[in-house]
Amino acid sequence: MTKDIYRSIEATIEDIIEESPTIKTFVLRTHEPFSFKAGQFIELTLPGVGEAPFTPSSDPSVKDRMDVTIMKAGKITGLLHGIAKNTCVGIRGPYGLGYPLDKFKGKDILIVGGGVGLAPLRSFLYALFSQMDNFNKVVLRYGARSSQDIIYKKLLPDWSKTDKMNLVLTVDIGDPSWQGNVGLVTTILKDLPVNLDNCVSIVCGPPIMMKFVTLKLLDLGFNPRDIFLSMEKNMSCGLGKCGHCRIGSFYICKDGPVFTYEQLSKLHDIWD
Amino acid sequence: MDKSIYFIKNEDLLNLVEKLYADYQVFVPFLKDSSSLKKDYCYQRFKPGLSWVLNPYRVTEPLKTFFTYPREELSGYFCPDKRILNVEQKTIVLGVKACDIAAHRIQDFVFIEGVQEDALYRLRRENTLLVSSDCTDYKDVCFCLAMDVLPYPQKLFDLNLSSLNEGYLVEIGSPRAGQILEDNQSYFTPAKDTQIAARKSKRDIFVDKLKNHIIPQNMPRIDKLQDLIRKGFSLDTWSHFMLTCVECGGCNLICDTCHCFLLWDEKGKTNNLRLRQWDACQYANFSRVAGGANPLKNRTQRLRNRFIKKFDFFIDNLGIPACCGCGRCIEVCPGKIDIREVLKDLAKKV
Repeated sequence: MTKDIYRSIEATIEDIIEESPTIKTFVLRTHEPFSFKAGQFIELTLPGVGEAPFTPSSDPSVKDRMDVTIMKAGKITGLLHGIAKNTCVGIRGPYGLGYPLDKFKGKDILIVGGGVGLAPLRSFLYALFSQMDNFNKVVLRYGARSSQDIIYKKLLPDWSKTDKMNLVLTVDIGDPSWQGNVGLVTTILKDLPVNLDNCVSIVCGPPIMMKFVTLKLLDLGFNPRDIFLSMEKNMSCGLGKCGHCRIGSFYICKDGPVFTYEQLSKLHDIWD
Repeated sequence: MDKSIYFIKNEDLLNLVEKLYADYQVFVPFLKDSSSLKKDYCYQRFKPGLSWVLNPYRVTEPLKTFFTYPREELSGYFCPDKRILNVEQKTIVLGVKACDIAAHRIQDFVFIEGVQEDALYRLRRENTLLVSSDCTDYKDVCFCLAMDVLPYPQKLFDLNLSSLNEGYLVEIGSPRAGQILEDNQSYFTPAKDTQIAARKSKRDIFVDKLKNHIIPQNMPRIDKLQDLIRKGFSLDTWSHFMLTCVECGGCNLICDTCHCFLLWDEKGKTNNLRLRQWDACQYANFSRVAGGANPLKNRTQRLRNRFIKKFDFFIDNLGIPACCGCGRCIEVCPGKIDIREVLKDLAKKV
């Protein structure tokens, strides 16, 4: 029998980490072998209820476990936030092309994340860490709505200790407990310690954030082909068949979800 | 003499269908309502004694109904042993037209080609023989020639029938169809050159008749369509034509090239079920995402989306538009939105 391309495989939720009041990381153990490349996405199934697309946030070299960081936003994510450890869910995938890591060799890497958009970037960071010799430096700029919305709080200090890594955070709205930067993520894109002639930028966050970060990067002199954006629509089948995630003449699910701004710049309404 | 063309008498075609019924489920066209002015043909499952007639133009329903269903169970998960891919019966569809076949280039591209192949679609495709026939008449809504589709199939059919003097010329388009002829030799005689010449002249006469119907419609040329859609993105064409759209999705569902579907999960008795249901980009929630954002919020955007997909996306990805000129969307639309008029309006304004 030929492969059933719409079938989910089973995965057990081994742990649930509360990242913020609205974001949780689910640690999954799949019952069948499953691997992915940083930037590829999966369809996560709540059995008998439905599916939604997520990009794993864990180290792609770890084969028996996978983290998925999920913000409570709609029906499926709302229900997922209510489930307990050891629940069984389903996954399909991986889908899409992921980050073209080979193209980034020998370059400075600027990573700009917003909110839960840091999730796919975390997976990307682990992929970089595994071959750090190939990159000049990694600069991470991350913005969250408030200090309590910052995710991976326990991991961030470790990341900044990594050689060649430069990390700056900001929050949109400050509070007395927060000593750091206050302002949108675009405000910490000044005086970047990168060589603009040899730098790629990897951006992931809500559409409005990606729009203004892209404009800022263009302003700084980045070439549109060096700006890598994680696009999102209602990817459903993941295979370029169901027709929901068309953007221009691409499907986000199979031609993306990572696109260069050069690929998208002539298209209409890309931030909607 | 062309070894792929034969002649069959009218009564022998009827006999052949009766015979094939033993091994296949056979769908034949029938006249739905002979009293109405607009004569519509539909597919009906053949059974012995049923009177049927070859349709002069395409039937009402799109050919895609044989390969994907409006709603069907695709997959069960977490109980792989219990999952049975429905054993699909061998099928023959008679009365397929050139426009239906042209449209299936799109469906095949989506479901068979690309990242991964849809096994169920492939199985149904392989189990289904398409017996097409030349058009001998047209509907008012027909505009195949404007989409570079001729009213007689030239490829991608299994058998093609061209009506001629109390019978049909039968052209073999695939080895499996050749096998049917070989197994039923008594019904067929090799076509004579004069018969093949007669088929050609009959076809030419009908194409001329069709031209007289389509050329006065003054549609933009097929090689201009992509440019029109791109340059016409911000025109008021979309907001004007959408005014009568009632978001029924009929244009999408009846379209033989529209392929979008929704995956849908349900709890079954012993298993979790994944269902597939045809979706329509004219529905308000077509592109809505978690959290409520919807890139195709209003009818103007959704109407434009349908045209971008047909005349920009598919021309970019496959080199042909996802429109075969069958006019089904024109007939079905309660808002009287006419795809030809939309394209003409763009051509006027770009």
